[in-house]
Amino acid sequence: MQGRNCTTGKSSTAFKQELLKNLLRGLRARTDACAFSAMSVHERKRAVKSSADVAMAAARGVGARWPKAILAAAAASTSSNRSSCQVRSSRFRRVARRCFFREKRRGPAAGVAAASSVDVARRLVRRRTMALRKVIPGGDAAMDEASLLREAMDYVVHLRAQVDVLRRVSEAMQIRSSLLRYAPSSIHGQEASSSMRQ
Amino acid sequence: MSSRRPRSRASTGASRISDEQISDLVAKLQALLPEARLRSSDRMPSSRVLQETCSYIRSLHREVDDLSDRLSELLATSDVSTAQAAIIRSLLM
Repeated sequence: MQGRNCTTGKSSTAFKQELLKNLLRGLRARTDACAFSAMSVHERKRAVKSSADVAMAAARGVGARWPKAILAAAAASTSSNRSSCQVRSSRFRRVARRCFFREKRRGPAAGVAAASSVDVARRLVRRRTMALRKVIPGGDAAMDEASLLREAMDYVVHLRAQVDVLRRVSEAMQIRSSLLRYAPSSIHGQEASSSMRQ
Repeated sequence: MSSRRPRSRASTGASRISDEQISDLVAKLQALLPEARLRSSDRMPSSRVLQETCSYIRSLHREVDDLSDRLSELLATSDVSTAQAAIIRSLLM
């Protein structure tokens, strides 16, 4: 049996459904404010990415810290209306990459005399823990190592679900746009009736 | 030198329990990693698990970015409500 934080099977499907619902709702809300076709490529990408993250965070709810961090960052970025969300996520990645390179360059225990293997191992764990904190939203908040590991597990599981949902949505839309191109009549009648119902 | 190896600085009395707890969590985290599915139950050192988790999360972020980009292209030409119909129709879940 996996840990209680791991969502598998039924609860994973429920999460994905919630994520999907939130995603569609969020995209619709944004498109009501400003049509996607009217946005620049950059703005549109940012809007979709942000909707996906907010949808994931909202679907997760209160069982972890990372959702709050995502929602807080999203709220901050909507108020400033700059691309701070993008800055945050690229900053995460940039800093994480820098940490990784620093590790490679310094090598094992450079310039430290008589470091025991335990010290080296501990230092490596500490460095990698720091790197891990930077890729988890809210990971740089004060939390003990056990909590960080639980956050990491929870975040990974839900990230995977987010990837799955986004992939399915893209595929569904891709299929639809192909159908429109090659067999528009097959879609048109159904679309008209369902959009009227909505 | 002076200390043994308490992983958790919290309290030296509880450090043994914390060590086990931590290594248990590390094992669970390892089980989530894509590589772990190939290598059945070989334990990786914690530092390796942390590193692999880091790169796994970063690669998942990249996937989300790529998929979001693709989705944003599709949304440029289709509106959301008709997308909704397509999605429901394809019976995703």
